[in-house]
Formats: sequence, structure tokens, C-alpha cells
Amino acid sequence: MASSKKPVKAAKPPQKKPKSPAVRGAVPARRVPEPDVAKADPRLFDPLTPGEIADALRTLTEDRRLATMAKVGRYRVICTEPLVVKPPHWMAGHRLVRVVAFDYAADRTVDACVDLDAGVVAHLELTKAQPMLSRDEEALAVSIAMVDDRVREQLALGDMPQSTLHYWGRSPDDLAFARRSAAVVFGRGDGHASIVAIVDLLENIVTQVVPAELW
Amino acid sequence: MSNVITEANWKFHWRLTESAGIMIYLADYRGRRVLWEASLPYVTIDHQHEALEVEGDPGDVHGPWWIPLGTRTLQGPVRVQSFRGGVELSAAFAAGPYNYTQLWRFHDDGRLCPWLTIYGPGIHDQHTYHPHWRFDFDLDGARHDAFERFEDAQWQRVEREGWFPYSGEADDHGNVWRQIDVGSGAAINIRPHSWDDAEVFAIRYHDGEWAPYSPRSAAGAQTFPSAYVGDESLDGDDVTLWYVAHVHFSQSFPYTAGPWVKVAGFGA
Repeated sequence: MASSKKPVKAAKPPQKKPKSPAVRGAVPARRVPEPDVAKADPRLFDPLTPGEIADALRTLTEDRRLATMAKVGRYRVICTEPLVVKPPHWMAGHRLVRVVAFDYAADRTVDACVDLDAGVVAHLELTKAQPMLSRDEEALAVSIAMVDDRVREQLALGDMPQSTLHYWGRSPDDLAFARRSAAVVFGRGDGHASIVAIVDLLENIVTQVVPAELW
Repeated sequence: MSNVITEANWKFHWRLTESAGIMIYLADYRGRRVLWEASLPYVTIDHQHEALEVEGDPGDVHGPWWIPLGTRTLQGPVRVQSFRGGVELSAAFAAGPYNYTQLWRFHDDGRLCPWLTIYGPGIHDQHTYHPHWRFDFDLDGARHDAFERFEDAQWQRVEREGWFPYSGEADDHGNVWRQIDVGSGAAINIRPHSWDDAEVFAIRYHDGEWAPYSPRSAAGAQTFPSAYVGDESLDGDDVTLWYVAHVHFSQSFPYTAGPWVKVAGFGA
């Protein structure tokens, strides 16, 4: 193990182009002291209270950029967690909430940072990325799979849903390549898996049923 | 239980996240800031088929899947335990045929072990786990960082963002990558597990490029953290590191993945 007392001798930085004469003669700029990350307030990382979550969701759904999403109402909040940004960002020191939602009507993800101190959506990204499944989506996927005839035909006595995972297909031929999907694994209580059912969460249908050993 | 722990020359905070296991934040060693935050954003799993003939091998037919390690999969409480020379946090997570124990071990000599023990049968034997750890080290301040890898028998400065797999070459202590604070000379050394088939992504820190809530980017696009990798300069800036292990299931499981991380250059 390297000694923990000696400073590490860094490798030489990459060679840079020679500076122009004008720059070479310039007086080096003074290093401006930066805001100290060591003085960050740990309470900003604390779990959100129910009131803070409600505040963040109200602020988000009242934002004009998300008016359509809020009006149509086909979205699910995936998670809400505290977010802490580093100085010198202007939001450093503010109580922030990261809200991630999936907008089914637009088939897109809403990834927002709500500044509770200012009462605004401070950062908003609308992307085609897909966040994890919410607990509601997991429960929905199980309920859809449980009533599917192909699934029921293949279930053995004692089989039950073991877990629900966020799945996406590898090939464009696979419906789950671009569409929000869940994999419901069925099996026995001892951990042995029997079948995998892929559920399309946009149409609420089972698109594949595969014996676990062939997955 | 308090979420701040002061023990073994470390002071750190922790909390259980919704999807990234136990997150460690604002960690100091010997009174100096080491870490802004670190977590295990996800463990993806993909499956392979056992084919004896190359011609008949359909390749990876199905895509990967994953389940959040967090409050919904937690089994029992998060445990805080002292051991000789340190303190550790551990939490067990279960999702059907997949089981994990996440560990954060802090040693009084500056070592830090973000580990994940993987067990459970899976749905069949031919599957591979890909745990992804994200580290935002802030050694003596957020900026003035440099990233280096051990290559051609010496430490080499890495100028730009990228993906840096373990090539089998390491320094005398087994370290393969390191992040240095240029101002103070303090460093974080990263030593991979020999069997992790590990790689590190070095990415310039940006607000907005926080730990994603899924590896899944847009359809057909690179997954995270690859999707964050551009061509930005790292030298002298704030660097975020991702350590990714690739662990194929075998009968010898359980297997504990994850690097050894060691703080160096901090005086007593």
C-alpha cells in the first residue's frame, strides 16, 4: 500500500503548445478562492418530508412547460429525491428536489429540479431516456401478466410473480426496444424461475412469454 | 440511527436512496474533504445462451434488465458495524432470484471499500451482472483535479473524458486509476478486483449530469454512463468517475465486486 502521508507525485501534464510571446509575458492571473465544498450543509441531503414532496410536485405540474402533461394526466411520478448542487452554482445551499416522471401521452421522461426555496422549476429536461419503473408500474405489470392467457397456461402449481424488472430490447425488431416495458419473472418461492412475461406499459399488454431457461 | 458517522479517522454521512442503494455523502478523512457523494446507481443483468456451435448461436437475443436497489428491495435494516481498524455499512437487497449485499467499508488507514456481494440463482446460469458505482470525489475542493491511468509501466495523465478498461497493468500496489488534486497532491487510488473485468469512465462534472435513474438512454443510444462521455477536457477541472464491473455468474457465487479505493497524500 502506498503511504498515506506523502503527497502523490502526479504524472506530467500533457505537452501544450508554446504560448504566444504576448501571453508569455503576461502577468499570471491570481487564483480566485472558490466557494468551499467542504462547507456544504449536510441537511440539504436529508430525506424529503411529505410536505416537501407535495410542494415539489405542485410546482412541477404548475409549470407552463408541462401544462399539457398535467392537463392530460397520463403521467407517473417515478421518484422524488433531494438533490444538492455544488458551489459555485447559484442554487448551492438551496433545498432542491429532483422529480422524475414518465409522461405516457408524449412517451417521454421529465427530469426536473425544483427549487423549494425559490418555488420554481430550476432545471427541466424532456428526453426519450427511460427511468426505472415506479412501484405502481411494477404492480400494474404484474396485474396485466397475471390475467394473460398465455401466461396462465404456462404457470405451474405454486408459481407466482417473483420480481418485476425494467426491461428494454436489444434489437429494433423487439417491441421493447423503444417502448416502456417491464419483465415479470414468475417462479416458485424457493427462487426457481419458471417463465418471463414482457409487458408493454404503453398498451398494457403482454408481448412475450418465454420459459425462464430459454431467456 | 444517526446518519453521520465519525469513526476510524473518517467522518461521513449516509442515506438510503430510492434506487442507488446506500449513498455516501460529504465524507472527510482526517478532517479533509474526500467525497461529495458516491452511490451504486444500478446493477444491470444480461443473459446469454449456451450454444456449442457458433453458427447456431443467436447471440444475445434479449436486452438487459435491472431493478432498483433501494427502499423497495431492502431486506431488513441498514447495519452499521465497527470492525478492527474501521467501520462498515451494509444492506441486503432482494428481487426474486437476484440477491445483493451492498457494503461501504471505511478503514482507518484511508482505504474505502464500495463493494457489492452478489448471490442468488438468477433465472438460469448464463447471465452477467454489471454493477455501476458513481464517485464524485472532491479532494481538497471540487476543482483542480486530474485523472491518470497506469499504462506502459508508468502513470499517464488523461486529457479528455473517456472509457478506460483495466488492461491488466497496475502499479506496485495494484492501482490502475487515480484522481489527483493538483493543488495539494492528494490522490484517490483505485485498485480493481482482479476478476471484475473492470473499467472506469472519467467524466467532467456538470450540473444536470447527476446519477441517472436508469441506465436506459434513448432507444438505440448509448446507455449511461457512456451517454455522458464526450470530448471535454478533464485536466484541472472537477471529475466524476464511474467504476463498472462485469461479473459472469458461476457456481462459485457469492462473489464480491467493487474496487479498493485509497486516499493518499493526507498527512496525519
